[in-house]
Amino acid sequence: MIDNLKRKKAVLELSNGMKFEGKLIGYDGAVSGEMVFNTGMLGYSESMSDPSYIGQILVFSFCLIGNYGVPKLENDNFLTALGHESSSIKTQGIIVSEIFDESYHYGSMIPLEQWMIEQKVPGIAGIDTRYLVQTIRNTRNLFGWIVPEGCKKENTIRKFPFIENFKKDEYIDPSKFNLMPTVSTKERKVFGTGNKKVAVVDCGVKWNILRMLVDRGCQIELVPWDTDFSTVEADGWLISNGPGDPRNTGDLVERVKVLLKGNKPVLGICLGHQIISLASGAKIKKMPYGHRSHNQPVFIIPEQKAFMTSQNHSYTVDPSTITKDWSLWFENANDKGVEGIRHKTKPFMSVQFHPEASSGPNDTAWILSEFIEKL
Amino acid sequence: MILNFLKPKGNKKQKVILLGSGALSIGQAGEFDYSGSQAVKALQEENLEVIVVNPNIASVQTNKDIDKKVYLYPVTPFWVKKVIEKEKPVGIISSFGGQTALNCVIELYKSGVLQKYGVEVLGTSVDSLEMSENRDLFAAKMKEINVPIPASKAVSTVKEALKVAEEIGYPVITRSAFALGGLGSGLAENKEKLEQLASAALMSVPQILIEKSLYGWKEIEYEVMRDRQGNCITICNMENFDPMGIHTGDSIVVAPCQTIDNIENNMLRDTAIKIVHNIGVIGECNVQFALSPYTKEFYVIEINARLSRSSALASKATGYPIAYIAAKVVSGFNLLELKNPVTQTTSAFYEPSLDYVTLKVPRWDLTKFTGVSKLLGTQMKSVGEVMAIGRNFCEITQKAIRMVNENDEGITVGRFKDATKKELEYEIANPTNLRLFAIYEVFKRGYSIDKIADLSKISRWFLAHIKHLADTENELVELIKKSKAKSVYDAFKNLGKDYIRNLKKLGFSDYQLVKFFLSIKEPNKKHTQKDIKKLSLEIRKLRKKLNIVPVVKQIDTTSAEYPTGSNYLYLSYDGTHNDIILTKKNSGIITLGSGSYRIGSSCEFDWCSVMTSKYFKTKRADSIIINCNPETVSTDFSTSNRLYFEELSFERVLDIVDMEKPKGVIACMGGQNPNNLIPSLNEAKVKILGHSAKTVDMAEDRNKFSALLDKMGIDQPEWISATSRKEIDEFINRVGYPVLIRPSFVLSGTLMNVAGDEKSLDYFLSLTKDISDDYPVVISKFILDAKEVECDGVAKNGEVIISLVSEHVENAGIHSGDATLVFPPEKLYVKTVNTIKDIVRKIARGLNLNGPFNIQFIAKDNDVKVIECNSRASRSFPFISKVSGKNLAEISCKVMNNEKISKIMIDESEIPFVGMKASMFSYQRLDGADPVTGVEMGSTGEVGCLGKDFNQAMILSLEATQIKKPVKGILVSSGRERDKIKFMEVVENLYKLNVPVYATTGTANYLRSRGYNVHLVNWTEDPKAIDVIKDGKVDFVVNIHKTFDIAERKENAIIRKAAIKCGCSLLTNMEKVIAYLKSLDEYDKLQDIECINL
Repeated sequence: MIDNLKRKKAVLELSNGMKFEGKLIGYDGAVSGEMVFNTGMLGYSESMSDPSYIGQILVFSFCLIGNYGVPKLENDNFLTALGHESSSIKTQGIIVSEIFDESYHYGSMIPLEQWMIEQKVPGIAGIDTRYLVQTIRNTRNLFGWIVPEGCKKENTIRKFPFIENFKKDEYIDPSKFNLMPTVSTKERKVFGTGNKKVAVVDCGVKWNILRMLVDRGCQIELVPWDTDFSTVEADGWLISNGPGDPRNTGDLVERVKVLLKGNKPVLGICLGHQIISLASGAKIKKMPYGHRSHNQPVFIIPEQKAFMTSQNHSYTVDPSTITKDWSLWFENANDKGVEGIRHKTKPFMSVQFHPEASSGPNDTAWILSEFIEKL
Repeated sequence: MILNFLKPKGNKKQKVILLGSGALSIGQAGEFDYSGSQAVKALQEENLEVIVVNPNIASVQTNKDIDKKVYLYPVTPFWVKKVIEKEKPVGIISSFGGQTALNCVIELYKSGVLQKYGVEVLGTSVDSLEMSENRDLFAAKMKEINVPIPASKAVSTVKEALKVAEEIGYPVITRSAFALGGLGSGLAENKEKLEQLASAALMSVPQILIEKSLYGWKEIEYEVMRDRQGNCITICNMENFDPMGIHTGDSIVVAPCQTIDNIENNMLRDTAIKIVHNIGVIGECNVQFALSPYTKEFYVIEINARLSRSSALASKATGYPIAYIAAKVVSGFNLLELKNPVTQTTSAFYEPSLDYVTLKVPRWDLTKFTGVSKLLGTQMKSVGEVMAIGRNFCEITQKAIRMVNENDEGITVGRFKDATKKELEYEIANPTNLRLFAIYEVFKRGYSIDKIADLSKISRWFLAHIKHLADTENELVELIKKSKAKSVYDAFKNLGKDYIRNLKKLGFSDYQLVKFFLSIKEPNKKHTQKDIKKLSLEIRKLRKKLNIVPVVKQIDTTSAEYPTGSNYLYLSYDGTHNDIILTKKNSGIITLGSGSYRIGSSCEFDWCSVMTSKYFKTKRADSIIINCNPETVSTDFSTSNRLYFEELSFERVLDIVDMEKPKGVIACMGGQNPNNLIPSLNEAKVKILGHSAKTVDMAEDRNKFSALLDKMGIDQPEWISATSRKEIDEFINRVGYPVLIRPSFVLSGTLMNVAGDEKSLDYFLSLTKDISDDYPVVISKFILDAKEVECDGVAKNGEVIISLVSEHVENAGIHSGDATLVFPPEKLYVKTVNTIKDIVRKIARGLNLNGPFNIQFIAKDNDVKVIECNSRASRSFPFISKVSGKNLAEISCKVMNNEKISKIMIDESEIPFVGMKASMFSYQRLDGADPVTGVEMGSTGEVGCLGKDFNQAMILSLEATQIKKPVKGILVSSGRERDKIKFMEVVENLYKLNVPVYATTGTANYLRSRGYNVHLVNWTEDPKAIDVIKDGKVDFVVNIHKTFDIAERKENAIIRKAAIKCGCSLLTNMEKVIAYLKSLDEYDKLQDIECINL
């Protein structure tokens, strides 16, 4: 429970001119970012540490956030750090209706607000998050500043490399720049043991993808996004999730095209799916309403087999541009959008949603198993 | 797609039977009318003819409709088989009528009836249902799919017990399968305790059960839906505030879950889906888990492969109409083929996301039952529930407290103000229905969260919020004490805008704050409700000036991810933006619903509210409903144009009136609860439709009403409102015993009572607060052996439009809510009926009635006296409406809508059948309560059955309330001499039953002296009456008490309680016994059943 009255004020200033006043939570400093929301009711630590959210201010539509604290994170060991999708908070800041500033859950390392303070992440509580979600939903390209009382609007506290591209008082717009250098690993790393070897192209990979591969008996080599793929020995490739506009990823699409000329299994997830789609010749468009929730219904078209999935994206594959060698694999049951494509003859598949969940439902975890079987 | 055999053959629609759940009882209440009526709608849309079998005449699902037939018959294999034979349906649906319907279908399948007539069970197969119901089959299946269930094993020695406990792991609970009253049950944390418990228990029983104890674990539920394709969703999860150990029906429940993390949630969600897949459920299923508060360890406790109380709650909590979709799914549809009815554009294969939080709080009416244990445990005792919606936990807690008991202003009500530390700690560790208030009190006294978590096992997240409220109160006390403001208004103003807004966000009501201020500022002054209300209106004005007003939010299942036109709304102070903007003024009609079901107000008032809302919907008015009861049909979002799932408090109704600016508010259709708001709403200048506030006041104020009757020369039983014992004695000297006592303030549970002599008078008066000007006692002459008659009707501007007379089977002295009602009346003289109708006309004029009414009478010979007049719709409205074919609720709406309407003449004697309304009691669940009918109401539900004559209606209605023809034996104690004489009228019928007759001394001697064979049993010596019950020699008990003497009553209570405990049919009223035994003559004639189309 927070005592709202005793807290410092903070204002959320939006690029459309609107202002929302609330109370400061977390670190006492200003940040700016692209406004996004998620309607998942649980899993805030997973979302906040998900590299896909880099450069963004995340609004939780659910009214009570922080109830179970932040799960333990020991020595950055992703295998045991369930509840974390990277080693630190990636969002610029968060907006909530109410934050719970204690933690009583046995698995908690620290209350949510403490984590934010440690990681220099500010936020605002006491905001009508439902109204804010409606505002974001209805406004294309909305950006915001979190400004605690007495703070200047300066992009100084969040230290990600791409932020240096922006002026001090400019709205951070993460899709303006190629974010791969910021989120991708700097060096090649090997995890796990097993006779199947998967190369994971790190576009901002969520730890749960790595965990699930290791759990399923794979050895993985995590490679930087700009690795020369011909130098990597692997039985199959996984192009990971990540932030930003898939068209703004340097020469990644071109290099993936080369992979698609081969015959080794390739799996794309989220941004990775969009990269593969581009590489296959399909086109990408921005959606009227992005998918930002744990309850996106998708189904495999011929069998009408349906799954609940976790999603976070505002770009989608234009179904009319899917090329002749590929077929539509999954479709969204709400808006009929493309949720997955698969190659007609080769072992290439890619999905818009997150089979690794975390947070969200595990209904499509089988996709990773199926991918591994093909190796 | 719909299953092939359900498609129409040519022009002919196929028939399916939908079983209802019968009378409302504890554990099986209004939620099944909600589920069933959604199902009927869903099936009718698919071109099916729906045959509803349900004796609950006050339900919406038994309304007349095209493509629907209604059989008001008991939901038992015997009667349902007859319906099958007659209607030849292609399918039967078991999952919308609770356990009753489920058991019925399983039996019909096992006995081969369904196969014989080619009736398919729609939805989950019977084999799967059995797997979900049968403990052993379920355990085996769970083992096979690797889902943990709590281990348990039967043992017969202490040594074995210890060995099993070692395997299962401590703590364990011991249960003895055969013991009465929980003897031999207990919690053993270690070897020593178990040794002690087991050896004690094994002395009296041969075998005990050792079970893994999950006491204090988190209790979590999932609502799962699966289609024939195998596509599966979890619609909602819910978490109990009260941990394992308290029945989930008696637990405070929050939705969605609040104290588990994403990993735990998905672990349980995956498991729930796995179970539902493997059992092979088609349709809805509820899965209950126990989750360790310290590890990821969990167990599945049980599943219900049907709609349930939880699924109704989940529907209201999420907006997702589970029953409607489930009905489509069982008729063959795939979830992907269906749309989410809230958004109308997105898929029904969807798991709602909430951006608010809901809290269910049960309503207990334990004070209505003398002697009942108030401790909560594994047996459900609550009779109703409410759900609060808001955007923080403090807000919903306080809202829910006000919803569930309109006299509580919030958590600050101070139930335990004067309790000792010891009492408080005991209450918290051994919870009753009041634990929440005890927790609040200890936090006010500075207890730590850890200490209370230890005592109660309640998750500390919940406790932290209760503590926050207590801290807020403590801080406020200091602020007010320090404040120099002279008036409440100023003190309030001085708090400042932010502070006031924060209090409102935490769910404090204006009334609550004013009362609180006054108690600190003027502790020695008495403040009436009226004073406080007046001041709270001033505070309201100030608030509005400061722009501190609630906002209206939609429930849309998507958390605003997509745009929506949802009409399902709630109000919160934790927000700044209104989701809907109302532009049309003076067009809406607001109907106030009934609030929580309770003893005395149940689904009959929801029926009235639904009829009202639907009527105005057809009149193209904006039909608006306010109600907070998740079990109801009125809170189905399709019933109205806008649904405010909100408090029925004065403040909240005004808030909604401020937003809606309606044409009028209807408060007379939802029972006494909304009716009580009329005076204050009227003072606040809200337009009330129907009776004027003056009429309501005159009807409700005993003195005014009595004066009016005197003025018009209408007779009434003599009464006084006594403020001293002297007055009482003088009154009794004049009128004589017995008298009816009605205290205005009650210390213990006993409310109304009949005193037959001075001793019992002394006793009953000792239970009330000292009689004084402030706490008068109403004493009235109690008339013995008189008939009780009711008249339901509608008047317009003082002129009766329609009036219908019905009579009680029981003589006066049985609460009208418990009595058996016959319509048209059978045994009334024409002259009496005419006299009554004449009096009704006079009263209507005298009160200037303008809307629905119910007047109760006592008739002895041709002498008619008026007992009371309710200027509102009554409990019997649906029954009388359906049997007479004149919808009293609709006629009332016409009056309230000021439509032209002429008098409706009806000759009751021309109705070609007899309707009988009988009451359902839930004493099996109310350990310790005396199951006797009397002046205080005790029934939890009712049925209404039709017959060609009185006897047929009697048999059906009693069977539908679980009075079963005896097959083992019958025990009779027949009361007073004159009762015994009356009993002789039917004694032949008793012996025709061909079962052994046992009787207590007086009755046995009476029967023997007239040549009847009877086994004599005694009260205290062998052979004892109680033993023939306990030994199962009888399955039917007639117990009529002789006098109103307390000692005799207690003696009889022992027999009655034993009868209930052992599952016997019990009758405690001689007129009902006679009517029942007489009617048994007709049993065989009932073989041909008839659907009487109402």
